[in-house]
Amino acid sequence: MIFLFTKQCPLSHTFPPESKRTNKMSAESDMEYSDNDGDDYDYYGEQDDCDMETVDRTKADPEYFLYSCLRVEEVEKLLNESIELLSNSLQITPSLAKVTLHAYEWNAQEIINKYKENANEVLVYSRVKSRVALGQAGSSRASCAVCASTPHLPKYSALACGHYFCNDCWSMHFEVQIKQGVSNTIQCMAQDCEVIAPEDFVLSHVTKPTLRERYQQFMFKDHVKSHPQLRFCPGPNCQWIFQAWAREGARRVECRGCELLTCFSCGAPHHAPTDCATIRRWLTKCADDSETANYISAHTKDCPKCQICIEKNGGCNHMQCGACRHDFCWVCLGDWKTHGSEYYECSRYKEDPNLANDSQHAQAREALKKYLHYYERWENHARSLKLEEQTLANLKRRINQKVMAGQGTWIDWQYLWDAARLLKRCRYTLQYTYPFAYYMEIGPRKELFEYQQAQLEAEIENLSWKVERAETTHRGDLENQMDIAEKRRTTLLKDFLEFNTKSISGSSKV
Amino acid sequence: MANIAAKRVKREIKEVMKSEEIMGGAFKLELINNSWTELQGEITGPPDTPYESGKFLLEIKVPETYPFNPPKIRFITKIWHPNVSSVTGAICLDILKDQWAAALTLRTVLLSIQALLSEAEPDDPQDAVVARQYKEYPSIFAMTATHWTNVYAEGKKAIVDYNRRVQVLLEMGVEEHQARVALSTHNWNLEVATEELFS
Repeated sequence: MIFLFTKQCPLSHTFPPESKRTNKMSAESDMEYSDNDGDDYDYYGEQDDCDMETVDRTKADPEYFLYSCLRVEEVEKLLNESIELLSNSLQITPSLAKVTLHAYEWNAQEIINKYKENANEVLVYSRVKSRVALGQAGSSRASCAVCASTPHLPKYSALACGHYFCNDCWSMHFEVQIKQGVSNTIQCMAQDCEVIAPEDFVLSHVTKPTLRERYQQFMFKDHVKSHPQLRFCPGPNCQWIFQAWAREGARRVECRGCELLTCFSCGAPHHAPTDCATIRRWLTKCADDSETANYISAHTKDCPKCQICIEKNGGCNHMQCGACRHDFCWVCLGDWKTHGSEYYECSRYKEDPNLANDSQHAQAREALKKYLHYYERWENHARSLKLEEQTLANLKRRINQKVMAGQGTWIDWQYLWDAARLLKRCRYTLQYTYPFAYYMEIGPRKELFEYQQAQLEAEIENLSWKVERAETTHRGDLENQMDIAEKRRTTLLKDFLEFNTKSISGSSKV
Repeated sequence: MANIAAKRVKREIKEVMKSEEIMGGAFKLELINNSWTELQGEITGPPDTPYESGKFLLEIKVPETYPFNPPKIRFITKIWHPNVSSVTGAICLDILKDQWAAALTLRTVLLSIQALLSEAEPDDPQDAVVARQYKEYPSIFAMTATHWTNVYAEGKKAIVDYNRRVQVLLEMGVEEHQARVALSTHNWNLEVATEELFS
């Protein structure tokens, strides 16, 4: 019955809502990169005219997501543009504009509109002004309530709330706060006063150059973190910043610096087809069950035929025992011959049908067994991916050697490199199909998913086998295999990636 | 910075000495070892609460960065309260953490702690066991808190029944405070407490 779900799947052809969304994005991006100085921040414009190019890209790559990878200076410029726009149109200082933008998640247009309606409300909400009327909130300038000394009148200052303190106390207050990493939300020193000190006020009281610098660094980090269209690349010591216009579903962004794949929506490693909430659950579960995970992650397995101990040294799961030449699958330890056919099913977990009548204990065991099944495969592909990384490095070295030896140019061997990169990409997706399958409800949709997953897995192993033996494999054969593997991957993503299927499940209910 | 801290603490003590709370006996504040970095406070349990007439000692440590950072305060006297750890005496109070403002003083903090004794915040607990009892068995909570006040803070009201149960465990050779904690934790169920102590 599984054969019912082959290529003619009716679900995979409905696409209009997604293409609509891409159009919108492309229109937005045009605005972003245009040279006019309008600084129009209306990213959510209503233009719907068709842009064939981006539509095509989404079809070829279901994970396609419009984003850019920016340097710190570019982001600074971007932020400054918003700040300037706001401070010009509302006639407020750039420092106050920063406080307001931070409070309103950098939606300058919303601030401008609300400001026209009720300027006071905007300032109170941004904590620029106190909700309490000035007369009641203000304090005297006879003595400083913080240090208890009585300096001369000119040595006092206050924020918009009118709470006067001596300048020495202000600078001490800012020093302590900056050292604790606070920047955008340093509050007034008065009790129950939530008014925030804007940048110019802070800097006028902080003189130490190192402290000023730190303050501005924290400020920038805070701005990026509070900006819905920006996200730091989570790579260690990586300075790049992503910019994108949507924050829901698994959204792939790749860093130009460290090449790390990240999900723009949640900041975790990219995880399509699994969605953000599910991957969080899965990763927590894996961390909690580390005891069992330790037990599983033994790095060696015995050959199913001659029982010799084997350590896996490549990404491919099609294993050949060095001692007895037995071909087997590293994942299920079954004979590889059964994997060659279309009916590849070692990725499928078989639920025991008699389970319902069993005792709780048996159910718990079954639950653990189920988890281990998915976890083992998840771990295994993660390890394979690491090894694939080595294959990639080796390949690069070998190509360089060939080029040096005069056997063709880089262009001639480019296809090998492409194959290894593609293999990495496919295995990455495959790894993230396991948490997805684990949390899926049993039913025809899960069967379809696991069928496609098995298909993908089989083709990936074929590809991996061929890439590892690239020199002896015919180029046409390899390229054909690449095409098949990538097709399987995109088909699976098209059918199951959350933001693709949302519209489908909506329309299929009719 | 230490200058400001010392100056502030000295002034605050002077201020507290003159204040009406000292006159009315609501709390005390004194230096330890004549250094401004460590103080001892004492607050009286507010009337019409389980803590009524109890005397609770507080350890107050003043950081060098005071008043730009809050003082570190914990209960020395053992107390049964959802926002105070029954083990360490640590207090969960917003103005001692992120809501601290430099213009706040030791006097206002002591008043806030006293107010916390009258009105607990069980949804923001420091001691989860106490907080659960507070929500699920309010009358047992009130009696337990009264009992602890009586035993540890010179509170005048004794809970005879609870004293008797502690006594039962003492006769079995259990240490007194350990016995009290076990009984308090298990809503004064002797059997469950015994089982936990001897398992």
